[in-house]
Amino acid sequence: MKRWLTTYWRLLMRPSMHFSLGFLTLGGFIAGIFFWGGFNTAVEATNTQQFCISCHEMERNPYREMQGTIHDVNRSGVGAQCADCHVPHGWTHKMARKMEASKEVWGWIFGTIRTEEQFEDKRRELAEREWARLEANDSLECRNCHDFESMDFTQQSSRAAQAHSTTLADGEATCITCHKGIAHELPDMSEFYQTSATGLPDIASWVAHLERDAPAAGASPH
Amino acid sequence: MKWLTMLSLSLALVIAGLVIAEERRDDSAPDGLRPGGTLSQSLPAPPLAGEPRDAGREVLNYPEQPPVIPHGIRDYQVDARANRCLTCHSREHAVQAGAPMVSISHFRDRHQQVLAAVSPDRYFCTQCHVPQTDASPIVPNTFLNVDQVLGEMLQEQREGGGQ
Amino acid sequence: MKMTRREFAKANAVAVAAATAGMAIPAAASNLITNAELTRLNWNKAPCRFCGVGCSVMVGTQGNRIVATHGDMHSEVNRGLNCVKGYFLSKILYGEDRLQQPMLRKRNGVYDKRGDFEPVSWDEALDLMADKFKTAIRDHGPESVAMFGSGQWTIWEGYAASKLFKAGLRSNNIDPNARHCMASAVFAFMRAFGSDEPMGVYDDIEHANAFVLWGSNMAEMHPILWTRVTDRRLSYPDTQVAVLSTFEHRSFDLADIPMVMKPNADVVILNYIANHIIQTDRVDRDFVENHTNFVRAVDDIGYGLRDEHPLQQAAANADEPNRWSEMSFDEFADHVADFTLERAARESGVSESRLERLAELYADPDIKVMSFWTMGVNQHTRGVWVNNLIYNLHLLTGKISEPGNSPFSLTGQPSACGTAREVGTFAHRLPADRVVANPEHRREAEEIWKLPEGTVPEKVGFHAVEQSRKLKDGEIKVYWTQVNNNMQAGPNTQQEILPGWRNEEAFVIVSDIYPTASAQAADLILPAASWVEKEGAFGNSERRTQFFHQLVNAPGEARSDLWQMVELAKRIDVADVWPSELLDSAPEYRDKTLFELLYANGQVDSYPLSDMEEGYANQEAEAFGFYIQKGLFEEYARFGRGKGKDLDYFDTYHQNRGKRWPVVDGEETLWRYREGYDPYVEEGKGVQFYAKPDDRALIFAVPDEPPPEIPDEEYPYWLSTGRVLEHWHTGSMTRRVPELHRAVPAALLYMHPEDAREEGMRRGSEVKVVSRRGEVRLRVETRGRVRPPRGLVYVPFFDANRLINNVVLDTTDPISKQTDFKKCAVRLELVSLA
Repeated sequence: MKRWLTTYWRLLMRPSMHFSLGFLTLGGFIAGIFFWGGFNTAVEATNTQQFCISCHEMERNPYREMQGTIHDVNRSGVGAQCADCHVPHGWTHKMARKMEASKEVWGWIFGTIRTEEQFEDKRRELAEREWARLEANDSLECRNCHDFESMDFTQQSSRAAQAHSTTLADGEATCITCHKGIAHELPDMSEFYQTSATGLPDIASWVAHLERDAPAAGASPH
Repeated sequence: MKWLTMLSLSLALVIAGLVIAEERRDDSAPDGLRPGGTLSQSLPAPPLAGEPRDAGREVLNYPEQPPVIPHGIRDYQVDARANRCLTCHSREHAVQAGAPMVSISHFRDRHQQVLAAVSPDRYFCTQCHVPQTDASPIVPNTFLNVDQVLGEMLQEQREGGGQ
Repeated sequence: MKMTRREFAKANAVAVAAATAGMAIPAAASNLITNAELTRLNWNKAPCRFCGVGCSVMVGTQGNRIVATHGDMHSEVNRGLNCVKGYFLSKILYGEDRLQQPMLRKRNGVYDKRGDFEPVSWDEALDLMADKFKTAIRDHGPESVAMFGSGQWTIWEGYAASKLFKAGLRSNNIDPNARHCMASAVFAFMRAFGSDEPMGVYDDIEHANAFVLWGSNMAEMHPILWTRVTDRRLSYPDTQVAVLSTFEHRSFDLADIPMVMKPNADVVILNYIANHIIQTDRVDRDFVENHTNFVRAVDDIGYGLRDEHPLQQAAANADEPNRWSEMSFDEFADHVADFTLERAARESGVSESRLERLAELYADPDIKVMSFWTMGVNQHTRGVWVNNLIYNLHLLTGKISEPGNSPFSLTGQPSACGTAREVGTFAHRLPADRVVANPEHRREAEEIWKLPEGTVPEKVGFHAVEQSRKLKDGEIKVYWTQVNNNMQAGPNTQQEILPGWRNEEAFVIVSDIYPTASAQAADLILPAASWVEKEGAFGNSERRTQFFHQLVNAPGEARSDLWQMVELAKRIDVADVWPSELLDSAPEYRDKTLFELLYANGQVDSYPLSDMEEGYANQEAEAFGFYIQKGLFEEYARFGRGKGKDLDYFDTYHQNRGKRWPVVDGEETLWRYREGYDPYVEEGKGVQFYAKPDDRALIFAVPDEPPPEIPDEEYPYWLSTGRVLEHWHTGSMTRRVPELHRAVPAALLYMHPEDAREEGMRRGSEVKVVSRRGEVRLRVETRGRVRPPRGLVYVPFFDANRLINNVVLDTTDPISKQTDFKKCAVRLELVSLA
């Protein structure tokens, strides 16, 4: 076995005797494109909705809950798929997320979430992980479609315009700060319910901003 | 040719007979929620009624009536895990959110004890408060609110007094 | 007269727009009206007009108009709360098209089945009716007349109707629409306990730690009880709520154990739970040995279809399905041993983990469990069996007849219990759990009614679905329906009901307050008074009897159902309808009218008008010259007093928010069959199911049998029908309330988004729902309040323009004869994509 390996190693290390350098370079390049393309295709395949909901746990809960929401169907037919919100579009972030996701594959293989009860038990944890991620990356995936610069505040309700033109504008809040539970059901928010009687996060902070004079906030001297 | 005429004539008769038989079941009748004389028919279904995002608040018919919801509630989660309505309508958030606070009546339990928070028996908002589509009434309603009834009574009194 | 209502509405719209435009500007100089004489509203209690929960509402009136309604704080049922329908009660009587005059189909001035409706006087209408009844009975016998009544009749209306038919006309062909609603519950109560209606009360909710909804969507159908369950669940976090259904609905929003099962799988699940209780040795041996017997129900009982149907022909015990034989506990244990967890999970589609959690709610002796069910169980080809299977679990564990441990059968109509069941307006019943087939029971009725022996016929009358069939077959010649809308609510409309009503042989009378689908199919329409336009009484799900006064007058010539029946009785002589042999045995009645025989009989007419509470109108009493409601009630109450069905005295009910029977010495009973709560239980017995001869309740062994129609290639979907929160039954009242109509303007086809995708449909598509019996056109809803699993669609039946019962199969539970509205096979055809 060892000898067999050594023989091949030598063969590989020996300079070419039959092919030109040009051929080898070009060939390597083409092969590279091929493999790269293959890899990318494979990664992209894991980005499709079909792949995501091929596992029962994803289909039964997150997917069904998302069906029919504004992010699934709407007037102009711009529907989001799992990856649109849960996988960043940029290469580095995407790869980082894919590495992270291998943990989920592990969970799938070993059945961390097999039963409906197990999903319910983890619902809060899973949701919080996504909220934290979006909080940390300034709601990167939201912004792929919902560009702050493209928002027409005059088309928004006065309450939305207020929030977006103040807290969102100056970076105090990010999309996920207020918009939790818009595509999937909220987990048990009862701890919040006890203290603030709502399931929803951090209204107090953006409300504080609403009270500030909006133009003054925009014209902050720096 | 004659046989053809005969055949078509008898066919026409048969068809007419069928049509009559079909129509016989639909004897004339007054219109109700359903147009009269249509019971055997399969009526076309009108398109889904529109759900205005912001319909504007409606005047109550009487003070005890729960207000209807003047906005869309698509995807609003109200279940054991979370209650999205309270995001804006709770005591703490109503003013800032520009929404009416849940009524004081909601802070009392079955035994009329005043609670620190909204009573759990009022938890599912849509049991009493319903959003409104833009559907127009099929049959008008002649309910008069108390002011209208009082107005009529005063009118009658005045007319009675003039005699 | 020639202007249709629609044209009228259009013409009116302009005027209304102008009026509202004027009103939109608040008058600057207007001030509050402060004159107390004017602003003081007249407030009175009344039970809600809608479901069987029986909330009490306060009705505010001013100048003969209802101007406001709100929840009654003093009512133990609802404590000031109402659901959205209840809050809008003020408007239900004011639809613009209230019927105000009798209308008869006429041609050339005389009645003609094919004629057009013309207004007629009450005298003309009632004289014609009397003539039709007399002629039919003379020529074809008493079985040729029939009445379809209601769980919305007041107690005395149901009693007057039952007496008119069973004693006066001598026909048992009277049945209430409660047949479509509660018959399975009734039969199961009688089989298991020998006495109808729950042993527990709503107070159980505040004592239980677990709630199980068996095919019930209480969040929408019994909203105020749901507020009490919600209160309990959220206030005491250890409380658990299990919800089982064939589709996901609003009650799932509170569910700790949500379960969507395949149609008909409840039999398997319930048998599994019994097995689980036995296997894990949690049977309450002491309770079972002292208070129960085990019996095996006959199997292969058919599907309540027409006799010639192949499925009926093939069933061995279709003729006598309500029989059983004794068995031992061990035999019972053997029987349920087949129903393993694996099998239950496989056949129901519910996960094993959830089924086991559900089973533990019953098995765990430390959990107080309350079971709720209504139409999911009752409207079921095996409805009686499933009712019995639920009682099995409570009896095996002794979790019954005590606070918090309660199998609770809910009702759908305000007086399904009070009238249809307690008065016994079913084709087989007499008051207070008596039946026409029992000679002793008939004799007791005849004695109370002062009638000769043999007056009440022995033969069970035609039940609801059979009435439709007999109309179609031409056997029923005169048919009278009151307070129901069977043209919209009955099954298989196009094949069985409409042809029967429009049959040349039949004269069909419909009493109602609005031109319903049924009224449109009638020959004579009688305008009725409703709710607080008359003095009335309802009995709710927890045995609570509640009274209400007449608070406003009915519009135009509209008259109460009671007045209509009693006036008809005045126009029929006993000699017209009784055979000579019977007349010979009671010659004193030969020259009397049915009115004198039944109502002015020295009992019903023994309470003078001066007995009436001052300050309230009572048009019927004034019309007849005696306090007829009190007379009817007190005569009726004699049937139940001393028999475990005791009602209190008439006058007391106007003063309180109702009492739960048996009311003994003025005290109501909360938990029946339990010593310390129920005065009928003998001292030292602890528990006593005293309505059974040996004081023992029955535990039933039943097998699993398939439904009569199962989806196949041609008709691949299950169809379930039902209600929505905002509309009640056929929507004749609620759809005339603008706020309720705008909330839910049309019935929709609720389906799974993936099914829609596969069918090439989407939300808003127009679709034809087709079965072997008929079709109906609907719009698709994929994200509504009802979320069906794949392969099942749901359509509510409130919409008169979308008669979903055209599609439904007229199959019934063979024992209870209650229709199964919850499962048949349909296919979907796309009409237009958008």
